[in-house]
Amino acid sequence: MLEIKELGVRVGGEEVLQDVNLEIGPGEVHILLGPNGAGKTTLLMAIMGMPGYEVTRGDILFQGESILPLTVEERAKMGIGMAFQKMPVIPGVKLKTLGEIIVNGGSSLIEEVAEKLNCTYLLERSIGLGFSGGEAKRAELFQLFLQRPLLSLIDEPESGVDLDNIALIGKALSELLEREQVKTKKRSGLIITHTGYILEYLNADVGHVLMEGRIVCRGNPRDLFVDIREKGYQECLRCER
Amino acid sequence: MKVKEDYLREIKERAEKALNKKALLGPDVDLNEFYLCSSQEEVDSVESISASLREAALYAGVELEENKSSATYLQVDRSAVYQKIQDAFQGKLEIMAVSEALEKYPELLEYWWGLVPVDADKYTAFSEICPMEGYFIRVFAHQKIEVPLQACLLLSEESRIQSVHNLVILEEGAEANLITGCASVRGNESGVHIGVSEFYLGDNSRLTFTMVHNWGENFHVRPRTVVKMGNNSFYSNTYVLLKPLSSLQTFPQAIMEGENADANFQSIVFAKGDSYIDVGSSLLLKGGGCRGNSISRVCAADSSKVYTRGKLISYHDEAQAHLECKGILFSQRAEIISIPELEVHGAPRSRLSHEAAVGPIEEEAVNYLRSRGLSREESLSLITRGFLNIDIPGIPVVLKQYIDEVIRLTSRDIM
Repeated sequence: MLEIKELGVRVGGEEVLQDVNLEIGPGEVHILLGPNGAGKTTLLMAIMGMPGYEVTRGDILFQGESILPLTVEERAKMGIGMAFQKMPVIPGVKLKTLGEIIVNGGSSLIEEVAEKLNCTYLLERSIGLGFSGGEAKRAELFQLFLQRPLLSLIDEPESGVDLDNIALIGKALSELLEREQVKTKKRSGLIITHTGYILEYLNADVGHVLMEGRIVCRGNPRDLFVDIREKGYQECLRCER
Repeated sequence: MKVKEDYLREIKERAEKALNKKALLGPDVDLNEFYLCSSQEEVDSVESISASLREAALYAGVELEENKSSATYLQVDRSAVYQKIQDAFQGKLEIMAVSEALEKYPELLEYWWGLVPVDADKYTAFSEICPMEGYFIRVFAHQKIEVPLQACLLLSEESRIQSVHNLVILEEGAEANLITGCASVRGNESGVHIGVSEFYLGDNSRLTFTMVHNWGENFHVRPRTVVKMGNNSFYSNTYVLLKPLSSLQTFPQAIMEGENADANFQSIVFAKGDSYIDVGSSLLLKGGGCRGNSISRVCAADSSKVYTRGKLISYHDEAQAHLECKGILFSQRAEIISIPELEVHGAPRSRLSHEAAVGPIEEEAVNYLRSRGLSREESLSLITRGFLNIDIPGIPVVLKQYIDEVIRLTSRDIM
């Protein structure tokens, strides 16, 4: 589904990613770990094709084709979706209006998804305006649910969220990524998490540790978390050497 | 009779003296370059209104259809061509050409030029010297008319001046929603529109007034509006201009004489081309407990220049009001000049405030929408529509939907 080869990315003149290699198969969910400033968000932004994230080397293939020449919206239309860590404020543009644009009408679907994510009361509000941490995360997932991307890029779904909402978000993610389905899984995900709480609700297949602009370790996500909690990220670098 | 003649002579004399008096604000328009507009035939039914007039009205937000309003007034050039009150509203309100009203009710003279000074500038003076109708609306005491009233003023001929004088009276406890659309007919790209409007709001009355303008690119527009407000009265004034024109200058004022009067002005402007636009509003807070807002949302593109003004003047300790201007610049050549004024006279416990913010569209928001599959143009258009979509306090849902629809319709080709 997604293949990243020797990727280098520059942001604001600074080389943030140097040599990232990553492969996600259809129906797989991968977790991305790493200390603050390691470049995790940069990697997601570069896959999405957000302006300001300049690919300096390597390639990103989606469904076997390089997506580097494509704009953000073209990538979105191909089936890549992103839940952002920070939601912008767009005064006067209601969450519902954007939802209607995403699904091209379909108010019953909007209501159904909003109810599932406890967002019904947010539909008439301007995007991001006065949203709490949990509300913003749920509103992000609400949009992803409507988009139904083949590849979901999810940036810290549990940051700033209380425990009740983590459960709701975790279960929703599991549904979005079809984790409960045994045979027909085709949707993939790449999720950044600091706390690992989300793993309680979501069976992830592979974990990656991103440090110093590259992937330094991969393995079972739960095992990785246990090791990092005990020994810290520096151990990942030593271990690699 | 003598008093009436003396009054009319006096205002005529004042007008004659002011015929060359330049307005304090806005570029000066040489009215001699334009011709007076002509008379037009009356029509007896809404179906008889031509397709071109109907289209012009629609782009100014007025749907000329049977049962779309409680009452309708349509003026083309200098003639009232259609006026009707729906059966259900007979006896609750009046709507007619202002000349007819002045003839029918001589006592209306006490309201005539009672708020707007006839010699304020050459445009008000011209309106008195060359009167070309306008509408008279009266809502009788305690009548609450939820279905909007519509008034539409169209200019069909090229290079003409249309000067109208409107008079609106809401008697005690009356409520109404008035939609006014002013536009030139397609193909008529140049002209002048002068609109004097005097609104009298009795005690406990409520008026929401929505005005949409849609003129040709070489039009000069000079509305002159003053509203007098009684005790506990409510007034909401929303002005929408989304199409380019040559120049527009307007600075409506609410004179809040009654206690607890509540006035809210909203200006929604998208300036394009070489438009020179000078908009705003002024609140004169005289009564105790008076409150209000003067809000503007301005987008300036191309080489347009927009002044947004707001003036809050308090004479009473218990008065409070807020001024807000937000602007988006779309081009290197566009200009937005925001001029807030707060004045307090002998009322140290007044609370007046203002906030202003002018800048570009946030790229973060554009890219966010693009990540949902919208093109850059679609994203800009959606953000702009959202920006112009003000939360207007106290207006009925139907009117809110109407304003949203006007913005949606007229902003389709906004980018």
